[in-house]
Amino acid sequence: MFETPTLRFGPNAWAKLEYFLQAGDSEIGGFGVTSRDDLLLIEDFVTVKQRTTAISVKFDDTAVAEFFEDQVDTGRTPEHFARIWLHTHPGDCPNPSATDEETFARVFGNCDWAIMFILARGGQTYCRLRFNSGPGGSMKIPVAVDFSSPFTASDHTAWQEEYQRNVCIEPLVPRNGLLARSDDWDWVEDPFANEVEALLEDDMFEFELENWEDDQCRI
Amino acid sequence: MRVLFINNDGAGFADHIEIEPNMPVAKFFAQKLPHGRPEDYLIRVNRQPVSRDQILHEGDRVTITPTKIEGAIVS
Repeated sequence: MFETPTLRFGPNAWAKLEYFLQAGDSEIGGFGVTSRDDLLLIEDFVTVKQRTTAISVKFDDTAVAEFFEDQVDTGRTPEHFARIWLHTHPGDCPNPSATDEETFARVFGNCDWAIMFILARGGQTYCRLRFNSGPGGSMKIPVAVDFSSPFTASDHTAWQEEYQRNVCIEPLVPRNGLLARSDDWDWVEDPFANEVEALLEDDMFEFELENWEDDQCRI
Repeated sequence: MRVLFINNDGAGFADHIEIEPNMPVAKFFAQKLPHGRPEDYLIRVNRQPVSRDQILHEGDRVTITPTKIEGAIVS
């Protein structure tokens, strides 16, 4: 059906990811749990406890370990649940940041293969397959929602419970301590907040990425 | 001596393996992830974090999972 490697989401998995994307004003992330027979077909999007802001997401280390153990208890192996890292970006830019790239290299760089998938709030996607077999390499691959298999109805109640259980949104904190309110200083409006707001609204915002094309695809 | 080992590196692993008796966790890590830096992983035995000198026992479940999985739109 698909001639080139394509990351496919089952309708439920895609709907759940979209639900989490819209559930709050922060980035969110999780793992794609794949079909036992098809490692590029995501059957479920699963989150772990995470701290998020409007512009970042960080998984809880213990929650990641618990996720691994729980998945193994169901009979899955890591290649079915720990190779597809999914997270969202605010705005319309799905391209990975330097932080994203660092995590992808450090956490998934020793795996035989792994995928970094980013969904921007505007609907744009970025998907890159990295593989270490043979000479190794990486390539951007297309994304699709696969309606070819039967699927059930959405479950907003369960998704909302998972969202509230796992997603902890933290306020943005100015990096410059001098900007913090202090009785010793005359309070001035925080320019950092304006920078972030402008960043999120800037459709042309891009990061320094070498050797990667900006051909955002839309599902 | 057999332990259950769970790890995502390489082809991924979730299976029982044979190890030598009285092996400390640090030695196990060095054998199984020779390229890895311990600070990049959470090492647990039977779902509990352990010290590097803890001795593994028959039937232990050793889980080595990545830490600091994070994304950010600004670096």
